[in-house]
Amino acid sequence: MTELQRLRDAFRTALDLPADAPVDDLRYQDNEKWDSLAHMSLVATIEDEFAVMIDTDDVINMSSFTEAVRILGKYGVDVK
Amino acid sequence: MNLLHPDARVIDAGTGEELTAELIDAAAAALAGERLLFLPMSSTVGSVARYLAALRLDVPVVLLDPDADHTELIARYTTDEVHPDLALLLTTSGSTGNPKLVRLSRAAVLANAEQVAESLGVTGDDVAITTLPLFYSYGMSVLHSHLLRGATVVLERTGIMQRDFWAAVNEHRVTSMAFVPYQFEMLRRLRFDPATYPSLRTITQAGGRLRTDLVAEFAARMDAAGGRMFVMYGQTEAAPRMATLPPEQITAKLGSVGLPMPGATFTIEDDEVVYRGPNVMMGYAETAADLVKGDEQGGVLRTGDLGRLDDEGFLFLTGRLKRMGKVFGVRINLDDVEREFPVTAVAGDDKLHVFAEGIGADEARALRTKIAEWLGSHFTGIDVRVIEALPLLPNGKTDYRALEASL
Repeated sequence: MTELQRLRDAFRTALDLPADAPVDDLRYQDNEKWDSLAHMSLVATIEDEFAVMIDTDDVINMSSFTEAVRILGKYGVDVK
Repeated sequence: MNLLHPDARVIDAGTGEELTAELIDAAAAALAGERLLFLPMSSTVGSVARYLAALRLDVPVVLLDPDADHTELIARYTTDEVHPDLALLLTTSGSTGNPKLVRLSRAAVLANAEQVAESLGVTGDDVAITTLPLFYSYGMSVLHSHLLRGATVVLERTGIMQRDFWAAVNEHRVTSMAFVPYQFEMLRRLRFDPATYPSLRTITQAGGRLRTDLVAEFAARMDAAGGRMFVMYGQTEAAPRMATLPPEQITAKLGSVGLPMPGATFTIEDDEVVYRGPNVMMGYAETAADLVKGDEQGGVLRTGDLGRLDDEGFLFLTGRLKRMGKVFGVRINLDDVEREFPVTAVAGDDKLHVFAEGIGADEARALRTKIAEWLGSHFTGIDVRVIEALPLLPNGKTDYRALEASL
């Protein structure tokens, strides 16, 4: 599985979305499921999936799928 | 009733909009002739204006979650006849299938706003920020106690897991924040350091038991930054605050929820915590006809909590009489969950764990979504576990202790 597929699946798992839900354009609070609680679970899911420890600033900056891709890049995960 | 001190301010952190007397007057004009207001209470200046207008006109308000469907509740409670003392109606023991309302009088709401402001030492210099929904009794109580003392309330909607929230804390020089237990887990994840927010003086905790190691940890963090942490205890039925643990006692009385509100008392009767004070509800309402009823409580609230008082009067909670759980600070009756769904329910730390026999993973996921919707709760607070067979006691009843031990 590619990094991109793994990140999409992490979003679907954490936000309780169907397995085929499009997630690439998701933004915080645009999707009703992505609130502060789901954000906690999203950060934990991404950390587990990619074996990284995300810094505080990156946790509170991760406000869209695109932003998550950028942030993971900082931790050496090339999402494409 | 007027909760609004003339110096009080309400500001929207997202839009910069500020509450004005004109906005409240306009909302009041639009409410003329109403006997009861069903108010979806979002954290916006418009909602707060309608709320304060209704309170000023003595129109009772039913505070509702703006993101939920309340068709059934509104149909059930719509009436032209309400008791003259009635000010607020709040939902409780949250299931959307069986909405029961707590009836609060004007006197009780005002008394509790005053009690909270006094026990926390709220002044006109304070700036609170919304960390909780305003339709939830704890969020409502933060609003009331600050408006009453001429303080500022900043309305913020993104929440503590987003940059915008923390930017607003610094921009508006927030002095006070209120959190329920799961938010302390978030704060720990964010490595929250109060020293980063120089204006911050006070954090409060309520909405269920917070693990004592987290109480100690956050009290120490606040203390190191020259601030204070208050542990509090309440129920919607008490408008909602019943006890506060003063910051200087937090270490010596670790695990206690503190002393009763000013002018109130606790007694322990058959192990149950009984509260007497001016802020106790008039009673419950299960139908529209109940809204004309007067006071049925006489200032006495049997809390359903088990507890003990130490020799200095500090309250320690030890359990619940009924099988209740809390999910994200909202009370849930475990027996109700079991009546509605084919599951066995036990309470965890701020989580509902349900055990279902012999279902598949897809069914388990669907069940989680359904239970969350029915409770009006967040899906991450519900954990569905598939089990081959429930453990039983020798008498054939479910062995709940074994289930709890398996968590």
